[in-house]
Amino acid sequence: MAESLPTEFDVVIIGTGLPESILAAACSRTGQRVLHIDSRSYYGGNWASFSFSGLLSWVKEYQQDSDIEEESTVSRQGLIPETEEAIALRKKDETIQHIEVFCYASQDQDTEDNVEEIGALQRNPSSVASTTITELDSACLPEERQSYFTDYEMPANHTQKSDKEISLGITDVEESLEKEKDCGDNTCIHTILGGHKDEDKHTVEDNTGQAKKNRITFSHIVKEGRRFNIDLVSKLLYSQGLLIDLLIKSNVSRYAEFKNVTRILAFREGKVEQVPCSRADVFNSKELTMVEKRMLMKFLTFCLDYEQHPDEYQGFRQCSFSEYLKTKKLTPNLQHFILHSIAMTESSCTIIDGLKATKKFLQCLGRFGNTPFLFPVYGQGEIPQCFCRMCAVFGGIYCLRHKIQCFVVDKESGRCKAIIDHFGQRINAKYFIVEDSYLSEETCSNVHYKQISRAVLITDQSVLKADSDQQISILLVPPAEPGACAVRVTELCSSTMTCMKDTYLVHLTCSSSKTAREDLESVVNKLFTPYAETETNKEEPTKPRLLWALYFNMRDSSGISRSSYNGLPSNVYVCSGPDGGLGNEHAVKQAETLFQEIFPSEEFCPPPPNPEDIIFDGDDKQPEVPGTNNIIMATIDSSEESKNLESPEKHLPH
Amino acid sequence: MSMEDYDFLFKIVLIGNAGVGKTCLVRRFTQGLFPPGQGATIGVDFMIKTVEINGEKVKLQIWDTAGQERFRSITQSYYRSANALILTYDITCEESFRCLPEWLREIEQYASNKVITVLVGNKIDLAERREVSQQRAEEFSEAQDMYYLETSAKESDNVEKLFLDLACRLISEARQNTLVNNVSSPLPGEGKSISYLTCCNFN
Ligand SMILES: Cc1cc2nc3c(=O)[nH]c(=O)nc-3n(C[C@H](O)[C@H](O)[C@H](O)COP(=O)(O)OP(=O)(O)OC[C@H]3O[C@@H](n4cnc5c(N)ncnc54)[C@H](O)[C@@H]3O)c2cc1C
Ligand SMILES: Nc1nc2c(ncn2[C@@H]2O[C@H](COP(=O)(O)OP(=O)(O)O)[C@@H](O)[C@H]2O)c(=O)[nH]1
Ligand SMILES: [Mg+2]
Repeated sequence: MAESLPTEFDVVIIGTGLPESILAAACSRTGQRVLHIDSRSYYGGNWASFSFSGLLSWVKEYQQDSDIEEESTVSRQGLIPETEEAIALRKKDETIQHIEVFCYASQDQDTEDNVEEIGALQRNPSSVASTTITELDSACLPEERQSYFTDYEMPANHTQKSDKEISLGITDVEESLEKEKDCGDNTCIHTILGGHKDEDKHTVEDNTGQAKKNRITFSHIVKEGRRFNIDLVSKLLYSQGLLIDLLIKSNVSRYAEFKNVTRILAFREGKVEQVPCSRADVFNSKELTMVEKRMLMKFLTFCLDYEQHPDEYQGFRQCSFSEYLKTKKLTPNLQHFILHSIAMTESSCTIIDGLKATKKFLQCLGRFGNTPFLFPVYGQGEIPQCFCRMCAVFGGIYCLRHKIQCFVVDKESGRCKAIIDHFGQRINAKYFIVEDSYLSEETCSNVHYKQISRAVLITDQSVLKADSDQQISILLVPPAEPGACAVRVTELCSSTMTCMKDTYLVHLTCSSSKTAREDLESVVNKLFTPYAETETNKEEPTKPRLLWALYFNMRDSSGISRSSYNGLPSNVYVCSGPDGGLGNEHAVKQAETLFQEIFPSEEFCPPPPNPEDIIFDGDDKQPEVPGTNNIIMATIDSSEESKNLESPEKHLPH
Repeated sequence: MSMEDYDFLFKIVLIGNAGVGKTCLVRRFTQGLFPPGQGATIGVDFMIKTVEINGEKVKLQIWDTAGQERFRSITQSYYRSANALILTYDITCEESFRCLPEWLREIEQYASNKVITVLVGNKIDLAERREVSQQRAEEFSEAQDMYYLETSAKESDNVEKLFLDLACRLISEARQNTLVNNVSSPLPGEGKSISYLTCCNFN
């Protein structure tokens, strides 16, 4: 791009994850000149959401990462005088590991010859300009698809042949698992060849149309890929949480829309059940007996003001919360609901923590709806972007795809003076905020990172069917054996704008003990069954079917003390990547803490002026109040108007 | 703002290269001003103007890029649930016209399918410095199935027309949609903003 970045700022922020973005908004809001950059082409870092094709590119990027490691670094000599020294930043992101992709949906392309995301094809293809557009798209997508198939050892132009191979060979998923192919470092691509087709039967299905409706192929997913907004990190907003409060206070909430999580589910004895949590739910529940209903209401009512009744739990201080529940004359059913679905704690948590969590849950209930959680429409990835917009509105400068080579530190004062970007340009600032993953191995050599195991699934049905197919559900699957981690499952429906119609997007999260697949596969197998067309109609499929699955491990850089980083200047502040928790409290707390450290006397994200009484700087004498009062009357001849509607004219009438 | 204030509410977003006059178009329309200097418009998020068309009050919420277009870093969330897009170039700047396909690609990716797009060639008061002919722009817009108009924010040429015609189109589109009542696909904007959620709750 022709224009180059300005070189003087107050605050330079590297990384566009949630804490960095909140800080950017907060700093910009106080009048600081903010430069906010990200080395990637998208916002959010590990907080981002992707369309389906975007996610495939993301996967590919990590597969290829090793190739582009030796990127030429523009010489820093001459830019750094003798009185200064450089602290190099990391060249390659290392926060994602063990990526594994499985495709269960049928990959035959009999009916579709062009597998592309819808969008590019919508405009008139005859013109020069739209050809340019289509070219641009085909430059990115089919190439991706190509390599995708190549990874599967299924070149797109040999589909027919491979189809036959498939139908001859493999009917069993376990067997096909052995086809997995190691693709470098720690990234695997597997082929699941379950979804083969039986030609004759298939024709019949096509004719009936009915059966075809339920058949979602890989090419459908690719075609409708734009409908997906797949979060790398799966979180929800507590309706009484810090993030909601901040969104409301700062008015950033106007950039986003939310939906209520509609159901809390529990997994018990191999079955998924809905947890009744509001009063009405409790009373309407069919799963609970009358006696249980009374017990539950009594216990929850106590939890709401447990502090007032210390006598109820004082004597049990030494017990864990789960042991305590046993003493409360609650049936095992209720104990399970309270422990795993309401308090959402580990069995070993203390009484006080358990009561606190239960109280928080109950308090959050009913602020916005039936459950204490909200989900952002279009995905979690919207949230950092909303804060970035707020920053930009107050003058912050944004630049994606901008790599930084190093910090420049003044030897005498030990303070950071500037950064040098990949063009060799020096950008000066007073404060520097950087996300953990940008720091070099050297800087982080003493840091011990945790890991998060993640799975992203596309499925064809909800884990618990209900009257409405538009449910947003959260499910906590307790650990199979003691000591292991509970797995958090979030199931999103298409009205959250995160997946295509007739599919569900399911996120699994737990803290890692092994690779993501090893940690999560058993839960996936408990809840879902791999998609295989031959099975249809034989017996009513009880479990939803898996169409596509992705596993990966993400580094959890939360909770690292600043002193574990080597040699960082005092005016360089570190933000962490996403943590494994359900809420966003960690990110908000971190942003606020760092902001107060940097600008102790400033208010954190105060409400902005109403856009309806904005004051412009510049030479305007009297800024009129824009907005609702300015009504202009436009009387448009109705016959002319209706002509506009119907005529195929593409131009505004001149 | 209560629901009774207006009959329709539409979100219109402006895009196009930096310097083509997007902010000036918005300010000209909403405030009747053409800024003499180039003071950065700090804190301008969106502007609201209510117009009356055939007796119906239409509230237009017009969003500016907040400068994020300068280094091609507009957030995807900017495009979400927009009802109309105004894609702007500068008729005296060939480069701003040549970037249009890139902008269209972004629209395809992030905006709703149903969005109405208008192509605007701004700064026609500088006709002597024109680099992009009307015909070229017309052909392009036709091929892309966009409406097309040339404006001057400075002289206030076609600015009202741009927004009012757009409002008319949006109304008729909205009417058709309610007639067709396309429930099959979830509409963007179906979620609730927090403020809406808050005001509808008791605690
Ligand atoms: C199991 C449980 C769930 C709770 N859920 C919420 C909640 O969702 N939101 C919240 O703010 N607080 C909830 N609380 C907290 C508690 O209800 C409040 O602190 C307080 O009781 C509210 O008083 P109120 O007079 O405003 O409402 P209440 O009169 O207590 O009524 C609250 C709601 O519950 C319904 N309700 C009350 N009694 C019954 C009944 N017998 N059968 C069916 N429905 C009934 C009411 O119609 C109303 O919608 C819950 C408490 C418990 C024990
Ligand atoms: N002559 C002329 N100049 C204009 C017109 N519209 C905007 N400008 C100038 O173009 C420059 C950029 O305008 P601005 O609205 O900030 O562009 P933006 O970056 O697209 O928002 C400013 O110097 C304006 O004064 C116009 O219609 N005619
Ligand atoms: Mg502008």
